[in-house]
Amino acid sequence: SSSQMSSVPLQLLFYVNGIYLIFYFLATLAILLYKSQAFSYPEDFLSVDLTLLVIMAIAEVLRLYLGVRGNLTEEEGLLGLSLVMTVGSVFLAVYFLVWQTYVLKIDVILNTILLLFCGMESILKISAIAAFI
Amino acid sequence: PPETSAAVPARTRRGPAPVTDVAKLCVCDLLVAECDVNCCCDPDCSAADFSLFTTCSVPVVIGDSHLCSQKAAIYSLDVEANPPERVFKLIDQVNPSIFCIHATNYEQALTFSSPEIPTSENFDQLLKQFGSATFSAEPESWDMNTDDRNLSDANETYRYQYGVPIQTVDAFLRLPSPVVSSWCSDENPAGFLVNQATKCIRSVSVEKCDDIQAVSMLFYINSSILAVPKSNHMVNISVQSIVVQSLNGMRTLLSDSDVLRLPMILDELCINIVLGVSYHITYTDAGEIIEAAAAFVLGAINKEALSIEQSFEISFTQVNTTPVPVSGNPGYVVGLPVRAGFRPQGYPFPVEMIIQTTNKYSQLTILQSTSNQDCLAAQGARAPVLFGYNMISGCKLRITAAMKCQPLTQALLDLLKGQSFPEYVASFGNSQAQDVLDWVPITHLRISEQRIYNTFQSSCQIPVSLEIEVKWTKYGSLVNPQARIVNVTATITTITLKELPSGRERTIPITSSVVFTDVSSPAEPGYKAWPTINAKLPFDFFFPFV
Repeated sequence: SSSQMSSVPLQLLFYVNGIYLIFYFLATLAILLYKSQAFSYPEDFLSVDLTLLVIMAIAEVLRLYLGVRGNLTEEEGLLGLSLVMTVGSVFLAVYFLVWQTYVLKIDVILNTILLLFCGMESILKISAIAAFI
Repeated sequence: PPETSAAVPARTRRGPAPVTDVAKLCVCDLLVAECDVNCCCDPDCSAADFSLFTTCSVPVVIGDSHLCSQKAAIYSLDVEANPPERVFKLIDQVNPSIFCIHATNYEQALTFSSPEIPTSENFDQLLKQFGSATFSAEPESWDMNTDDRNLSDANETYRYQYGVPIQTVDAFLRLPSPVVSSWCSDENPAGFLVNQATKCIRSVSVEKCDDIQAVSMLFYINSSILAVPKSNHMVNISVQSIVVQSLNGMRTLLSDSDVLRLPMILDELCINIVLGVSYHITYTDAGEIIEAAAAFVLGAINKEALSIEQSFEISFTQVNTTPVPVSGNPGYVVGLPVRAGFRPQGYPFPVEMIIQTTNKYSQLTILQSTSNQDCLAAQGARAPVLFGYNMISGCKLRITAAMKCQPLTQALLDLLKGQSFPEYVASFGNSQAQDVLDWVPITHLRISEQRIYNTFQSSCQIPVSLEIEVKWTKYGSLVNPQARIVNVTATITTITLKELPSGRERTIPITSSVVFTDVSSPAEPGYKAWPTINAKLPFDFFFPFV
């Protein structure tokens, strides 16, 4: 009998993260639009923030896809790639937490949760890679 | 340092730096150096003032309410305490909303930008940027460096403007004046170019006479005046003259005014008490004060005196000019005295000048009614004719049989016209003495009321009324008309004095009045001249032939 090496908690985290990510992007986009109306938000700052949000969306989707695929096919290469992409996601989340033009309290909450997800997933990915090797 | 900044080319000027400390902001502090009522954040208010407030008009001073956590200054009145006192708390206010701004990385987000003040250097650039129907909110050069702004503020040359309080080393030049009651308040600042004269009452006592600061000369000349606001250049107040007033009111001018005379107790009297101060400030047309002098009136009080009346005045003179009191610039201002004078008849050439008396209130005067209505007992009190104010005054004349006609006529003429009735009246408020054509001659008319025309009886005509009619017109543009006097007529009305049987007496009312009549013609529109085509052949068109 082949023992399953795929990590179930990791898969759970990926699933919840996927749902959260949809909520996160919609919420951040809406809040960005609100900020541009409520506060004085010059165009170049706004375009920088929007671009980074789009990049983050693509990066997160890619990261989750690679992670899910790597976990299910038990390939450590894909999981390693996903781990590397987590660094980029963390950096972008920190940008939205600290270096954004306007950081609202809700931004702090959303990005902190995202960082927690990334952190927990990284730990589980490392243990999964250790299990696959 | 100022020397090196002269070499730096003129920067664009900014407005004053914004105040962001909530403990120092106060929107209800409107009066300078005075306590505003119900304004709990006013720094000029003392604890005694706070005990009289009913509420705080500004209960909280807070910055941008979008921030998650910010400082707030809370002002409230503790009415339970006796006397009520103001409570000031500086707290950190937390905004519970999740959309509050936690941080921002964009400096201009939470402050208003200070606009660039146009100067001759940057006017073209500003016009190009903001001169069209729309403009972008973000100019290319946005300089928010606060050090840069503070330096350019230090290079600013401040100068005094009309009405700005004159600053001294510690606070403001004070001109004590009555505020609500007649008691002196020391918090009235003197405004630049605002000539003021005030009188107020101060409570004194012989025992404490050297304790009360405001009756000592030192209080008024102690702090030096700043030549321009916020500078270090100071002008000392010099003592111009000292007049000593004795207890019975007699005034003597002291020959040496260098010695500072402080109040001291001498023989149960307190001498050298300041009864009046008259400041004379000399200024340049650049708005800078270059000289300040004070003339004092010192007096003495005895043990029974509980209060004294102090009078203060301040006047401003431009440097290198002699002050001429004007009643308007150029049109007459309602309420200021009408200027009048004489033209001395020089021989062989007429003198091209009008002589006026130095006291501007006694150039054109009418009889002043006194409580004692007897004309012949009047002490010669005259009231100045103020522009725009119609006045009427009078007295009662008791005629007895013993009075002779001619001396009575002369006495009544003197009474009605005064000692020196002028010949010319200034048509504008600022007419100069050497412009004779700017002065209007006074026309004299005589009307005699004769009931019965009797050629045989040499009747005695006595003047009973003098009516001065001043006709004035509005002169200049419709938006800012200036009052100009065009005609002055003095009409004397005489009546026949019938012979009285001896022992009887008669009472005749004598009146004098001034009437101002507006004879302005309606305004006419003025149009610019049509442009003309100026076509002429050149001078040397027909060259070889002409």
